[in-house]
Amino acid sequence: MLQIAPVVVLATFVVFGLMHLVPGDPAVTLAGDYATAQRIEEIRHAYGFDRPLLVQYWSWLSGALQFDLGKSLQSSELVSSMIAHRFPNTLIVVVMALLLSMAIGVPFGILAATRSGGRLDAAITSISSLGVALPNFWLALILVATLSLGMGLFPATGSVSVSKSWFEAMHHATLPAIALAAGGIAEVTRQLRSALVEVLSSQFVRTLHAKGLSPLAILWKHGLKNVSVNLLTVLGLLVNRMLGATVVIEAVFAIPGMGSLVVHGAVAKDFPVVQGVVLTMVILVVVTNLLVDLLYTMLDPRVGRE
Amino acid sequence: MSSTHSQSAGWGQKVIGVARWLRRDLRACLSLGFLLFLVGVAVFATVIAPHSPTAQNVNNMLLPPSGAHWLGTDDLGRDVLSRLIHGAPATLYASFLAVSIACLIGIPVGLIAGFVGGWLDDAISRVVDTLLSFPAIVLAIGVTGALGIGLTNGMISVGIVFAPQLARLVRAQTLIVKQELYVDAARCFGASTARIIIQHIVPNAIQPVIVQVTLLLAASLLAEASLSFLGLGVQPPQPSWGAMLARAYNYLEIAPEQMYAPGFAILLTALSFNALGESLRVALDPTMKHR
Amino acid sequence: MDKNEQPANLLAGLEGQALDRRQVMALIAGAASAAGLLGSGSAQAQETPRKGGVLKVATPTNPSSLDPMTGRSGYDHVQLYTMFDTLFEWDYQALTPKPGLVKAWKFPDPKTLVMDLEPGITFHDGSPCDAAAVKFNLDRFRGDARSNIKSDLASLDAVDVTGPLQVTLKLKAPDTSLVLVLSDRAGMMFSPTAAKSQGADSDRKPVGAGPWKFVSWTDNEKVVVTRYDKYWRPNRPYLDGIEFAIITDTNTGLRSVVTGQNQFAHALAPQQKVIIDRTKNLKGMATPTLFVHLFFLNYGRAPFNDARVRQAMNFAIDRDAFNKATQGGIGEPANTLLPKAHWAHEGSLENAYRYDPAYARKLLAEAGHKDGLEINIIAWNDQRSVQRQEILLEQMGKAGFRLKFQQFAVADATAQFFGADKKGDAYLAAWTGRPDPSLTLQLMFAKDSYFNAGKADPAPGRAEAQQESIAVEASADRKKAFSKMQKIVVEQSLTVPIVVQYDLQALHEKVQGYQPNLLGKPKFETVWLKP
Repeated sequence: MLQIAPVVVLATFVVFGLMHLVPGDPAVTLAGDYATAQRIEEIRHAYGFDRPLLVQYWSWLSGALQFDLGKSLQSSELVSSMIAHRFPNTLIVVVMALLLSMAIGVPFGILAATRSGGRLDAAITSISSLGVALPNFWLALILVATLSLGMGLFPATGSVSVSKSWFEAMHHATLPAIALAAGGIAEVTRQLRSALVEVLSSQFVRTLHAKGLSPLAILWKHGLKNVSVNLLTVLGLLVNRMLGATVVIEAVFAIPGMGSLVVHGAVAKDFPVVQGVVLTMVILVVVTNLLVDLLYTMLDPRVGRE
Repeated sequence: MSSTHSQSAGWGQKVIGVARWLRRDLRACLSLGFLLFLVGVAVFATVIAPHSPTAQNVNNMLLPPSGAHWLGTDDLGRDVLSRLIHGAPATLYASFLAVSIACLIGIPVGLIAGFVGGWLDDAISRVVDTLLSFPAIVLAIGVTGALGIGLTNGMISVGIVFAPQLARLVRAQTLIVKQELYVDAARCFGASTARIIIQHIVPNAIQPVIVQVTLLLAASLLAEASLSFLGLGVQPPQPSWGAMLARAYNYLEIAPEQMYAPGFAILLTALSFNALGESLRVALDPTMKHR
Repeated sequence: MDKNEQPANLLAGLEGQALDRRQVMALIAGAASAAGLLGSGSAQAQETPRKGGVLKVATPTNPSSLDPMTGRSGYDHVQLYTMFDTLFEWDYQALTPKPGLVKAWKFPDPKTLVMDLEPGITFHDGSPCDAAAVKFNLDRFRGDARSNIKSDLASLDAVDVTGPLQVTLKLKAPDTSLVLVLSDRAGMMFSPTAAKSQGADSDRKPVGAGPWKFVSWTDNEKVVVTRYDKYWRPNRPYLDGIEFAIITDTNTGLRSVVTGQNQFAHALAPQQKVIIDRTKNLKGMATPTLFVHLFFLNYGRAPFNDARVRQAMNFAIDRDAFNKATQGGIGEPANTLLPKAHWAHEGSLENAYRYDPAYARKLLAEAGHKDGLEINIIAWNDQRSVQRQEILLEQMGKAGFRLKFQQFAVADATAQFFGADKKGDAYLAAWTGRPDPSLTLQLMFAKDSYFNAGKADPAPGRAEAQQESIAVEASADRKKAFSKMQKIVVEQSLTVPIVVQYDLQALHEKVQGYQPNLLGKPKFETVWLKP
């Protein structure tokens, strides 16, 4: 616990600094069409933009520690409720993408590893290289053009809240999840394959094989258990990467999620929103990594001893 | 050790080694070939392109492929093929700039953290962890916002975002090499710190870094495309593949074919960088030779 | 040189003749849109409106605030008009003033405005909308710390209640623009009871006297309003309610209407007309608005402090090609800031500029820039703006202007150009329009206005004409003053208008009775749904 606090705080400070480094004036944005020099000054004072930076940061931080993330400068809505509202939209896509990555990546990885060096292995490796090199928003565009606008199988855009209808929510999240998962499948396949190959060709396993243990048993008892550590690492990596990739995917599919929130907020210099969202994302990533580390030590006692 | 060997091996032998490797590894051959082809296209863009990439014709908007325009025209009547060709230099420049920045920042930081150790290592590692906990593109958006919109600034921000990855890798490699006996031996002989780093640590730590750099080239390419798609990348009139995709998005229902040319270009280039990286990884790692 | 390019001289030669190509096209376009409007009108004349149904609208922006006083965006009006009736209203086609909550008004002398309210108007919370309520509102708009619209009422000296339904405004100086100003935010009456009890929450809890009352607002998702049973106009509104789905991306917005998820979309990109036309149960309407794409110029310093350079800019743009490429041919090439349909539009200036790169080069040379001129332009970073930048780059390049763009997000760009930094020589942006033309001309060209980047006033006679336009009451007299002002603006090339953007709306065939308006902010009080 102690370890993550400084990281998280540092992260928010970085974001805060970045946003304020940007030349430009949130007060002008807030005055909008009705800008006059006097009105801009009034707004600047009313929102406290004329206070020293550190004072503004401290004011935000002390609020955040009490779970008050402030209000959006653009719409006066509570940042915490904005995030609470949008988070499920991002979550459903990311979770579906993660599940897809596992569901396809794991069998692919196993197949490639057990037939290592053969044609199936080469085919799977090539496909996974494709997945990594594919711009995910291009895949998204293709999916929309073909499966959605072309064949009408899926809705092109938007999202439906899970509370309204599970089926509708998942229906809307399918194409975005596929677009996100392309890279994930590739990553899982690749990592699993290389880790499994290493295990399967080790002396220990070869001995077991020589002793007559069935390949399936070897695979299960010794292969997968050992590589579960690698799988967890990949999962942690994927969570981080997908939270980032979701920014572009949400733009293509017009999903009101965290990604689009941070882009609009950054562009409009809506400091409280950006800081709130980044804080949430960073906490997510850090907590995921913590969980991964925890599961490491449970699964592989050797790791804990380092 | 291999380092002292390769240093005295001479350039001639190195070239022969590379040629042999290319002959053996089809994937490396193809990817390197494509990349060299791309560099050629980028350098000779003005000569190769059939039309000017910026010549507009409002009477010829969104035309399908034809004899005059092999890939058709875009929303302002410009030749898509020529824009694709002229987008190559910007794309390559973008990737190399980002990776250069990442190396410039990440490698020294990683070396120092690994070599010096102690509280400096702790502090640096903490900052690196912080930066790594940001989803990459979110950080890039933030930094771009601070620096201003434009290709160069966007790529600098991508470079800054990738630097921690390199730093962490270099640090890990430095730690491993630091423990090798020959480093202690060198120190016993009175070699200075700088000398040790340059002569012993860097050559041995460099191989995974080379692989990572190639992979980062692919990642930078995709990052540039994403940033341009979000409107934070290249500025007119410079064509860029990512910006071409962004424009195609607005015409998805009217002219969906607009998105294929730039998308394939990005895909093939990223694929080549990745494939090259993978081949390098295999070639440089002695333990993987028999896979 | 492209063989499709028309020699500029051809158009120049036709100038001064009875009807040139542009005028003919304008007539055709005008007839077409009038036919479109008439078409819907005549269809509705045959069927009687029925009450009932909830209209689902796809709208592109999240309101900045639902309190008229604190909002800052011209796009809020679409939601605001549903809940707030205004003191004055306007004619949909030409924007001439009409009665609203005020049933009759007069200017007994140039510095006094007497307004008589309609009887029996109540706010959504039941409190009466009487003279006292109006006084409360106007004082609140002028004095509240959170008010963004103080400048709209700057000419007000005092507001007096001179009868239970009569309000007398005392002005500091003659200001006949006040009538149309009070058809906008400053005329949107908010319930005093609610305003007093809510304080800062008023942004999210609007209480007006309009046809529908507020139900809910989920940011960037939905705004829902429902029928106000005690609305003061009999038999209105027809619709039981309206649900605004906030869909920022216009491609997505139109798709939602194509799939039937929503029934009305507006502010669509002109390129989307193709899609509407090929969809069976949709009707498209492209109608003029006050939204003008233009260059703001900083003429307080070089190079634009030289009128010849400003002139050259205006002759360096092929507005027809621009319209074709970026507006799908739907917009209206503009030489002035007001569209043709507007009551104060100056017809004689419609062809003031033509695309003549050679002439532009000559002007630049006269101004000392023989080898052309590089100018720094602040611009927006979204794809549609980039498209506009690209086409201008090409066109103006032929006239010797080397354009260099610096891109920012919209909010930022405005701050960069007009704020303390004063970056850039010009700003490629748009004017969204104001309820009264004098406001547009004042805000853009008065010496110390925020939107005058250079804080300069090089045009003799402009300030006087401005005063004249708000000293007289009759539209005909005001039009004379506006004519004078617009001629001055064109002579001095104080701005570079490019095209008037038309609002593209998509309606499901069930939607009847809709009438577009020149302000470009859809109003739904005449809309009814076929079952």
